[in-house]
Amino acid sequence: MKLLPDKLTRMMFGLAVLIFLVTPLVLDDDFWMTVLANAGAFAVASIGLSILTGFTGQVSLGHAALLTIGGYTVGYFGADHGWPMWAWMLAAILIGALVGVAIGPFALRLKGNYLVVVTLALVFITGYVVENWTSVTGGFDGKSVNSASLAIGPVDFGELHIFGRDFSREQGIFYLCWIMVALTALVGRNIIRTRPGRAMRAVRDRDVAAEVIGVSNARYKIAAFAISSAMAGLGGALYAISLRFISPSNPAAELFLSIRFVAIIIVGGLGTIYGAVIGALLLGPLPELVQEFAGLFDFTIPIVDRPLVGDSPADNGIFSAASFSEILFGVLLVVFLIFAPEGIAGMIRRLRRRLAGRSNVDPDNVSDN
Amino acid sequence: MEKFFQLFVAAIALGGIYALIALGFVVVYKATGTFNFAQGGFVLLGAYLVYQFGDDWSLPFFVALILAMVVMAGVAAGIERVVIRPMINGPPFTIVLITLGVLLIIEQAVRTLWSEPAYVLTTPWGNGVTEVAGVSIRHVDMWTVGFATLVLGGFFAIFRFTTIGIAMRATAFDQEAAAAQGIKVGRSFSISWAIAGAVAVVAGAMLTSRTGSVLTPGLSFIALRAFPAMIIGGLDSPGGAVAGGVVIGVVEVMALGYLDFDWIGSGFEVVLAYVLMIIVLLWRPNGLFGTRAVQRV
Amino acid sequence: MAERSLLSVSATTLEFGGVSALLDVDFEVESGELLAVIGPNGAGKTSLFNCLNGVYTPRHGSILFEGIELVGKRPARIANLGIARTFQNLALFANLDVIDNLMLGRHHLMKTGLAAGAIWVGRAKREEIANRLICKDIAEFLDLDQFGSTPVGLLPYGIQKRIELGRAMAMEPTLLLLDEPVAGMNLEERNTMTALIQQVRAERDMAILLVEHDVDFVMAIADRVLVLNFGRVIATGTPDVVTVHPEVVAAYLGAG
Repeated sequence: MKLLPDKLTRMMFGLAVLIFLVTPLVLDDDFWMTVLANAGAFAVASIGLSILTGFTGQVSLGHAALLTIGGYTVGYFGADHGWPMWAWMLAAILIGALVGVAIGPFALRLKGNYLVVVTLALVFITGYVVENWTSVTGGFDGKSVNSASLAIGPVDFGELHIFGRDFSREQGIFYLCWIMVALTALVGRNIIRTRPGRAMRAVRDRDVAAEVIGVSNARYKIAAFAISSAMAGLGGALYAISLRFISPSNPAAELFLSIRFVAIIIVGGLGTIYGAVIGALLLGPLPELVQEFAGLFDFTIPIVDRPLVGDSPADNGIFSAASFSEILFGVLLVVFLIFAPEGIAGMIRRLRRRLAGRSNVDPDNVSDN
Repeated sequence: MEKFFQLFVAAIALGGIYALIALGFVVVYKATGTFNFAQGGFVLLGAYLVYQFGDDWSLPFFVALILAMVVMAGVAAGIERVVIRPMINGPPFTIVLITLGVLLIIEQAVRTLWSEPAYVLTTPWGNGVTEVAGVSIRHVDMWTVGFATLVLGGFFAIFRFTTIGIAMRATAFDQEAAAAQGIKVGRSFSISWAIAGAVAVVAGAMLTSRTGSVLTPGLSFIALRAFPAMIIGGLDSPGGAVAGGVVIGVVEVMALGYLDFDWIGSGFEVVLAYVLMIIVLLWRPNGLFGTRAVQRV
Repeated sequence: MAERSLLSVSATTLEFGGVSALLDVDFEVESGELLAVIGPNGAGKTSLFNCLNGVYTPRHGSILFEGIELVGKRPARIANLGIARTFQNLALFANLDVIDNLMLGRHHLMKTGLAAGAIWVGRAKREEIANRLICKDIAEFLDLDQFGSTPVGLLPYGIQKRIELGRAMAMEPTLLLLDEPVAGMNLEERNTMTALIQQVRAERDMAILLVEHDVDFVMAIADRVLVLNFGRVIATGTPDVVTVHPEVVAAYLGAG
């Protein structure tokens, strides 16, 4: 029940905080800072999806659309209208929550696969709105997010200046994203270990029985959609800030992004908050990393006499960098689902249980949290 | 009125294509309980196979088509046996995600095997058009309607009247009972996937042909537009899939043709299909012809 | 004593596509009494419970609980009014531990919502701690406090049945519905369960409506018995009266 139940967890957490603080100092490289910042933005959104799918059992393929909405929120309110950071963040969260509340009722009427396809509808509808509501979204041209304010109080994440040291925009955004990850994880964890979180898990495991003992399916399914969409909106806003730009993508790309999020929470571990973060850290940056390090896969496949991954079309690689990362996601998803459905968090949990059996570690702290 | 007739054949043709795609989904769903996202990949791969056999290896079109259907049936059944069958007793959620993973893999495999950004699929009817009573009808649309009718008719004939079909329906209804009767459940699974693969080929080829015969990897996501078809029809009703497919096809073409307002913007016809689906679901949560799952407490 | 009955079921008919699962069912339950519902398989016992809980809606009839009409109300609302239930085939939340399952019984009595939960400090924390203490007491009472954080799905069947009873108790109901509480138990487990049910009755002022096949168990524990067959009530009364009722005898002998 406690937030950081045992010594090991506390140590790991402390280590994580340390790494977080120190990374930008050690890794003074814009590319890596951006990659990690993006991973952070994805982590925020993934925590949301984890609450929706992992804890409440509602599958959604529309998550990408919610990030897009968040991105346009910061573009419109933050960049176009110059709102202060706390304001556009709040807007991203609230608008996300509103969309979630709109979708939520569908989960009451529809089961399983029918619900999944309705979440797909969100992708198509958002795409349509984004492309055609040009006054707000800039249509096909997209929108620059560069001028959005990153300042709160005396601290401006765009131009951090601490102890006489100047931080680049990328470093500042890294800090901003991961601070939001910490806050989101805290909120998520708190919700899960209290009454509403228990209710959601009951709805996931046995919705009818849950109702019979007094848990209103309606309230908690809608709440789950609201929270996860709010987090996705926030994550999308942060992602847009990091990219400095937001533009429409076709439904195919959005579906692929939604699938990436599903892969993230599956690989990370479905029933946990920190699993979502691990998943985002490992899988979030994958496409960018593959693109950057395509050279590593440059080795030529003997019979075909072509490199495995081509940096550019001219290389005539068997896969393009984009293809390679897509296939990697596909393979990871399938492999984990078949062989390790509990994800990395599940593996860690099993490891700890085994250790608990052998040593003095308190077995009380290795449960479903 | 002329406009209506002008659009009519095209509408039915697109409807037929969506019906084929939706049928592929529904056959698998009804027989195995699996929601198979990879169907879009089958449509894609199917079309590319027709190209490969027909254009690249210069086989006559109809031979290429049949050959592609056979190969695709085999590939689909193979995927079922290797990737899906082991997981069939796990949570349905897991299998859906696996099919998503398979979709991604097929998509990329296609991009890799056929590395040009686009290919031209040659068909016997090409861009031919016929004038009938002042209305021009494209040959591709006529052939599509013909093929769709043939394939759908053939499917229903098999499903209704042959032992294999009856076996599949029995398995869909109650797996355990079917197995107890000596029906090879595994074979029913494989056959349903094989059928899904085969019909996908026809859908893919005709879809390519009607959009200028240009074959690109984006084809797999056109299958997404068929989703509203099978949802509206009801996921476990093959007849519903056909009805739904035709409805969606008609809606799309008619919307594109008639709703010509400035404010509507682009891409409306696809959204319209999904909106229609939502409306139907609000009224009938299991589609028009789907069956309600009984919940026991 | 013109007191209102705790539960009053009148002329209740439940149909599934033309087949009557329940037909014109009439009976009352008084506060504090234990009414057993017996009948052959398929007689409609679980359907009756499902109607009381609001899972099924009867086509005709009325179900009054403390004077309030239950028909048409959502199950969660009915739980809140004071009716708790255990299930024939168990309906525990397998991934959660014992205390969390019991805590779900407390759900309708607690108030922490999303906002308070997200903040944790303050109201959520206080409420959580207070209710956990209550659940720990219940767990101790039922001899369930030695399982730590093991997911209940991994525990033996007899233990799970007890946990379900505990969850129902945690709801602080006025009416407790027990659907085959000793099904599938060996003699020792059965005796333990029987004793627990008696104890629960003694300590808390609640009425119990109980479905069971085991006629001996019913004889020993019930104040009155209701016999269902093919959805109809064929007899009501004290155990000794009912068990010699000709229609009842016929139903059981006939059903084998």
